[in-house]
Amino acid sequence: MNTRILLAALATAFPFSAHAQVSIAAAHGPNWIAIGMFLLIVAVTLVITYRSSGRTKSKADFYTAGHEITPMQNGLAIAGDFLSAAAFLGISALIYATGFDGLIYAIGFLTGWPIVLFLMSERLRNLGSYTFADAASFRLDRTSVRLVAATGSLVVVLFYLIAQMIGAGKVIQLLFGVNYFFAVAGVGLLMITYVAVGGMQATTWVQITKALLLLGGGTLMALVILWRFDFSLGRIFLEASQVHPKGAAILAPGGLFAEPVSAISLGLALVFGTAGLPHILMRFFTVKDSAGARKSVFYATTCVAYFCLLIPLFGFAAVVILMPDASFFNVGANGQFNKITDLIGGPNMAAVHLAGALGGPILLGFISAVAFATILAVVAGLTLAGASAVSHDLYGQVIARGKAPEGREVRVAKLAAIGIGIVAVWLAYAFENQNVAFMAGLALSVAASCNFPVLAMAIFWRGTTTRGAVVGGLMGLISSILLVVLSKTVWVAVFHFSAPLFPYDNPALFSMPLAFLAIWLGSISDKTARATAERCAFDAQFVQSETGIRSLEVLAGAAT
Amino acid sequence: MPPLSSEETNRILASPSFRELAAARSRLRWGLSIVTLLMFFGFIGLISGASAMLGASMAGGTIPLGMAAALGMIALVVILTGYYVRRSNTYFDGLMHIVQREARQ
Repeated sequence: MNTRILLAALATAFPFSAHAQVSIAAAHGPNWIAIGMFLLIVAVTLVITYRSSGRTKSKADFYTAGHEITPMQNGLAIAGDFLSAAAFLGISALIYATGFDGLIYAIGFLTGWPIVLFLMSERLRNLGSYTFADAASFRLDRTSVRLVAATGSLVVVLFYLIAQMIGAGKVIQLLFGVNYFFAVAGVGLLMITYVAVGGMQATTWVQITKALLLLGGGTLMALVILWRFDFSLGRIFLEASQVHPKGAAILAPGGLFAEPVSAISLGLALVFGTAGLPHILMRFFTVKDSAGARKSVFYATTCVAYFCLLIPLFGFAAVVILMPDASFFNVGANGQFNKITDLIGGPNMAAVHLAGALGGPILLGFISAVAFATILAVVAGLTLAGASAVSHDLYGQVIARGKAPEGREVRVAKLAAIGIGIVAVWLAYAFENQNVAFMAGLALSVAASCNFPVLAMAIFWRGTTTRGAVVGGLMGLISSILLVVLSKTVWVAVFHFSAPLFPYDNPALFSMPLAFLAIWLGSISDKTARATAERCAFDAQFVQSETGIRSLEVLAGAAT
Repeated sequence: MPPLSSEETNRILASPSFRELAAARSRLRWGLSIVTLLMFFGFIGLISGASAMLGASMAGGTIPLGMAAALGMIALVVILTGYYVRRSNTYFDGLMHIVQREARQ
């Protein structure tokens, strides 16, 4: 059960029990502040999109905002991209339900960032222009390696997007009392508009707006909590352990990470999955150079770390303030209620209820609107990454072999954004009542087992050849999907078999080494002339990845 | 954009500044990565091995040991990334500019 909660938290699709569907709006009456803030956010983001619309003509504009985003802006946008509703509502709900275990989860998320900085950001920026597949296929065969990288990207983006959309639909339904289909379609329409009309420029500013709202709203809530508890953390922990059904056990690690194989496997997916998420990697191309990429990771890490400090406050304070008060729960006929699952709207609403309890309708409305903005920014980033994989990698490089006119490629990107948006809305609607807890976990596992190994081996190991990268990438992709399907979250929860064929919830501990092994074996056994040429080309790639010097620049420099 | 020609590549590879840049950054990159991973997976190991200890309060306080360790991890992540960025800004960027200048000559 614990692992189910965990994966569900990732997807914001906390298992909603049937009678937990009463919306916050129904419980508290329509919150005009929430609706006003919500309309304001929509208006602001549409103005941003309108103002960005003139700047989506060239490929560089559309994919990377002309490489003109500053490191500080990009850092905030990365944090905005990364801190999903799953992080804000899901992890605070996890801490509300399990205590300390939720915090470990937050740390796993955060630990991916130093790895992204040390291994990925600078080399990626120096080698690529628009998507991470640029860097992965720098000295390898453009067509086949790109095909694998783009497939990995699309699988990650689609599963992540559907999980987020379903979570978004439920959260908006709960917050504002609107019909699920309208909630999902509305989010879909907005994200398509941002991406298709405003490209990376609009997406970035939506993410920055959201990051500022989330960090500001979170800080405000944290201050109110601390003030209420006389700035004593010890008092919060003590009182929480007195009212939580699990008692003092919430202050110590519980069952979530008790089993070492599952714990390490989940840890690997969290840490290396971050380093393989296409929408995150794409953000490094929005800055001018590798120094900008590096600085933006530092700003992003600081924002995410700061938020990791706030989330436990929300979770533990929600325990203290909500659990003793029956008015926050769906109370059964006999006056009994479960302090975790019977919370109105489900445990995911813990932070939202807490805002209402601390600051009345004003703070409730504000935090609801922040949650809404959080959802918008994440889905927009995912849609843009998916559209780029289709237009730049599949259409521009694989189908048109790099010879597509720039205007046409941008048009393809915009159409792809519309297509991906429609597919995501349709699937989110179709899967509304399915158990989709596996989707976000699957996305992270594929990112860690396909995207990350291919990219890391292509940029760090001289021996990597096209054959190795293709075989290894496919191995990681197929094995991670297969193991997730055979695990409890799909085999039992979706297909209703009695026992899973793969005993662990997360495949990364197995699928990641398999991918690396296949890349290695596929490469060393490759004796073709092309493989030799690719190994020779490593030197040029190495120099460019370390210095950012590109041939034309050298010639231009010599000419002046 | 075409990759560097082999002539350009070999010239840069032979440059002492480039060698110093690549070697020092590689040490820092892999060193810090290993520290980060050891820290995180060590923490997870501690959790599955000695969870009772982490629930105990620190001497004279009400904050559990595990909670303090978790906050310490969050701080360390920021410190590690901050250190890498600082070292890059103050040392590697300078070397890189030398290499770039040399390449244009």
